[in-house]
Amino acid sequence: MYRTMVLALGLTLGTGTIALADSPWTGGDNLPTSPLACDSSGGGGGAAAGNYDGGQPTGAPDLKGKPVKVVDVPKLIGIGYFNATSKGIADAAKELGNVDAKTDGPTQANIDQQITFIDNYITSGVNGILFSANDPVAIAPVLKKALSKGIHVVGYDANSQPDAREWFVNQAQFNGIGKAMVDDMAKEIGEDGAFAIVTSTFTTPNQARWISEMAAYQAKCHPKMKWLETVEAQEDNNLSFNQATTLINKYGDDLKGIFGMTSVATPASAEAVTQANKCGKIAVVGLATPNAMKPYVAKDCVKSVVLWNPVDLGYAAMYVLRAAIDGDLKPGATSVKAGKLGELQIINGSEVLLGAPTTFTKDNINDFDF
Amino acid sequence: MTAALDRVLRHESILGLLLIATLAVLAGQSEAFFTADNLLNQGRLMAEVGLVTLPMTFVIITGGIDLSVGSIFGLCCILLGVFWQKVGMPLPVAMVAAILMGGVAGLGNGIIITRFKVPPLIATLATLALYRGLAEGIAQARSVRGYPDWFFQLGQYDFLGAPTQLWILIALFIAAAFVLGMTTFGRTIYAIGSNEVAARFSGLKVDRAKLVIYGTSGLISGLAAVIFVSRVSTTRSDMGTGLELDVITAVVLGGTSIFGGRGTIIGTGLGLILMQALKNGLALAGVKGDGTIVVIGAVLIAAILIGNLLSRNGDG
Repeated sequence: MYRTMVLALGLTLGTGTIALADSPWTGGDNLPTSPLACDSSGGGGGAAAGNYDGGQPTGAPDLKGKPVKVVDVPKLIGIGYFNATSKGIADAAKELGNVDAKTDGPTQANIDQQITFIDNYITSGVNGILFSANDPVAIAPVLKKALSKGIHVVGYDANSQPDAREWFVNQAQFNGIGKAMVDDMAKEIGEDGAFAIVTSTFTTPNQARWISEMAAYQAKCHPKMKWLETVEAQEDNNLSFNQATTLINKYGDDLKGIFGMTSVATPASAEAVTQANKCGKIAVVGLATPNAMKPYVAKDCVKSVVLWNPVDLGYAAMYVLRAAIDGDLKPGATSVKAGKLGELQIINGSEVLLGAPTTFTKDNINDFDF
Repeated sequence: MTAALDRVLRHESILGLLLIATLAVLAGQSEAFFTADNLLNQGRLMAEVGLVTLPMTFVIITGGIDLSVGSIFGLCCILLGVFWQKVGMPLPVAMVAAILMGGVAGLGNGIIITRFKVPPLIATLATLALYRGLAEGIAQARSVRGYPDWFFQLGQYDFLGAPTQLWILIALFIAAAFVLGMTTFGRTIYAIGSNEVAARFSGLKVDRAKLVIYGTSGLISGLAAVIFVSRVSTTRSDMGTGLELDVITAVVLGGTSIFGGRGTIIGTGLGLILMQALKNGLALAGVKGDGTIVVIGAVLIAAILIGNLLSRNGDG
């Protein structure tokens, strides 16, 4: 009896695995990609405003210019990146003068906890919610509930389904990041070099999206480059270092470059390359905050680091939320004013584009402090 | 035996008083707390954890523990999606199959514990990793979405004025309280926890009882998983991470002894409600997330200390 059950378990799991193993898998998601043209320089921008596809709050009170209470629920609290976005939100709230903003969220990137946090804030009666989604679909019902109670909802950093929020502040378009990363890598290791990727987890939406866009852009514009492997490192410093070291040992001289997909994986990969005495032989290209990368850039071990400014991201999100509450930002708008950042362009229907990603090099990295 | 029963009841009355006091304080902190809307919504949010606390109470009363419930939960979420979308089963069949697979996973725990005499802590620690690994391997980071609208009845909509899953929780709560308190099987569970060797020599079917409770634990985790998928409308392999800690906290807070032999379903219910009320009430009162977990930890220690103190007095 038990044996039959165990056998049944094995069989079902087996079929499940087979059913899913129909395409070789690189760490990307299976959504459609839109690689940019090969020649134009720089990433991001250029997209049209498109038709508005966001959701609108029902029966939202007119609060134009009035003091409001808003809450920011990031994926998790207590890491450098979200401390920076939270600082940007606080800065903008202070500048606006009529916003009481606070950041609260789970201490682990957990969808259930994030949903519960938002649900509780809906009950406690806030006027606006800022979020960075741990999962675009799972978060949608609770955000729709907020909209149905007349609460304004704006996302930043990681999107939800479009109809579950009014606006999303996009730090950089996925295909822009994909292009910037792959172009930088091709410049360093040549058109026929082989590379590997260290990502966070295969379930993180942004990283999966970037990897898909990178794969599409690489296939289109640098077809001879060779994709060796994508490994998970969970935004954990130690694990990222170990995974990068394993890649270096496993592929030996074949490995010409490593992509770091998170602000943790990139410095850890650079450290692994440094400790393996492979500086100059293995290129590291990745998303990272400048402070963590300064030592490696100074030693010439890393040539360029790609990222947007997370403080600006939070700052812009707060301004967009205020504009939505005030009624200044309506469906169909093509741009929105965001304080010191000036006019931000609206793309893809209901996304506010922060700008092209910044590439930090030896020349400018010391001008940034985050 | 009656003395032990008195002690249990005493812990429950303390917990009841503590709960009433907490509710009163929290209601004073925020107007939004004591509204029907909020309370029913909390019923929705605590249903998954609440369901899993029921078999966990049985497991802990036998002196065992099941750390793998969160992983079984994650595995069943993924299997539901895979059965439906990849294997092509009709959704109702996939729901039943996913729940049954939870039962199989739970039976796996039971077999390891009874046949190979592995301590439950070790056995389920191993399957905690094993089942989560299976879930991630099967899912390959892809989530399954796009469920039909009727499926959300279970997790997002109301039935007779209250969240659907709250009715399921209440029904199973009554069933569990009946089985534990009024049947021979329930008394077998207490006997195993009080003295397993004596229970064996008394001719009780100890291994069979353990298989049943670990299997049920998996089965109910599967049910909770299906409800959760319906509530959040997508599946991911990291669902239910850390669920075991919430579940065990609620059970222990409810006065079930981690050494076995003591505990009731009513107590577990009170522990669960107290925990959920604290989480929700403190958030509404403006306490941040990290503060809330500190308070829950403190309340857990306080409840156990008071319980121990009184039971020692009772022993004279």
